[in-house]
Amino acid sequence: MIITRRVTKYFSDTPAVKDVSFEIRPGEIVGFLGQNGAGKTTLMRILTSYFPVSSGTALIAGLDVSKHSLLIRQKIGYLPETPPLYMDMTVKDYLRFAADIRGVSVRQRQVRLDRVLEECQISDVQGKVIGALSKGYKQRVGIAQAIIHEPQILILDEPTSGLDPIQILQVRTLIKGLRQERTVLLSTHILSEIEQIARRVLIIRAGRIIVDALLEDLLKTPGTAPSGGSTLEEVFIRAHQSPGGPL
Amino acid sequence: MSQLMSIVRKELSAHFKSPVAYIILVLTVAIFNIFFYMIIEQDREASLKGVFQAMEFMLVFLVPILTMKIFAEEKAVGTIELLMTSPLTNTQIVLGKYLGVLAFFTIMIGVTLVYAVIVACWGDPDGKVLASGYAGIWIEGAFFLAVGMMTSSWTRNQIVAAITSYAILFVVYFSISFMKYFNGPAEVLVRQLSTWAHLENFVSGVITAGDIVYYSSGIAVCCVVTRMSIENRIKD
Repeated sequence: MIITRRVTKYFSDTPAVKDVSFEIRPGEIVGFLGQNGAGKTTLMRILTSYFPVSSGTALIAGLDVSKHSLLIRQKIGYLPETPPLYMDMTVKDYLRFAADIRGVSVRQRQVRLDRVLEECQISDVQGKVIGALSKGYKQRVGIAQAIIHEPQILILDEPTSGLDPIQILQVRTLIKGLRQERTVLLSTHILSEIEQIARRVLIIRAGRIIVDALLEDLLKTPGTAPSGGSTLEEVFIRAHQSPGGPL
Repeated sequence: MSQLMSIVRKELSAHFKSPVAYIILVLTVAIFNIFFYMIIEQDREASLKGVFQAMEFMLVFLVPILTMKIFAEEKAVGTIELLMTSPLTNTQIVLGKYLGVLAFFTIMIGVTLVYAVIVACWGDPDGKVLASGYAGIWIEGAFFLAVGMMTSSWTRNQIVAAITSYAILFVVYFSISFMKYFNGPAEVLVRQLSTWAHLENFVSGVITAGDIVYYSSGIAVCCVVTRMSIENRIKD
């Protein structure tokens, strides 16, 4: 569903992402980890065709992001790190606008709107101006815009960043509910979130993928966890401390 | 087409949700009214020529305030990512935003049509000259808006966008004042560059192909540069 082959992205002379290759199969939930500035957002922006690649190939549903960006954008739902919300619009007007620009037909629009309002549990604030909502609600509105066109692929960039524990729980529950029949790439700094949601983990360091493994396998490596295995935190720290990369 | 219209509708309604737009609308119309009264009182002519020239002067100061947020705000708050990751072409985004602000401007100019009605009630104006004058002020406003949108796409700072826009509009509006310092082809170039001479033809009732080409090519160049600018989003 998502394939990258030696994807590289330069900003001036600095590589933000270097020779990144991986494959995510349909229906997989992949956690994407890395320190700030490691290249997570850049790679996600490449996959959503917001940034062009400097070299390499990225394929979404078999389509090259450099050549078929409009088609690809119909298949992707994207929540950037800062939810792209118009603060002076009401939730309903905003989602209607998001549906329109994603090419959802007028006939389908109301059905989709009702569905995402319910799915994201924001029906009670649909008439409110977004700027007046709490951060948790804003985040859920951001997720609602990402799924209103029923995309096959969801790319979520730190969806729980800056939320309080209750809001994190609400958003996490929502994401868990969205997994069915969707391929999800989720970046976060909250490692427990990955453990609860993802089955596979990608760790990026200085623009290079240094870990690409099943979560289950990573947690089996020897460590200090009660089971004798490692915690994801240990895996993450080891990956960043070892000179050549992982484990 | 429907996606383009969605952006136009959203842009237009955004203007009416913002107090800034209402303030601009009310203040501008109020100032236009004062100019209208003063000019009509002084000239005692059934013509709006002086009013159109005053409007042009006002637009130089007004348009950058209207346009400064078009792209700069989207970049600053991150909503540009919603547009750029939706199945919209860059041309649709630029045209949608441009037509949205142009619709707001058209409403603003539309309010001043009452002047034509007043002049027609109290005198016998040449209807064609009035229509030509309104066409001139509209197309000039459309050009200024395109300049403002272009500078807004260059930055995420609305103040920088407005100042850059002022700089360009001052050059195209006031360059006629410096014509006496130029001779030969340079003088012709400065005259052609200035909006003043082009609007003068419209308000006198003369619509020339040259003037239409001047404004429409200006609008087209600004839209193309805006499109290029949002494509180049490496540093956004």
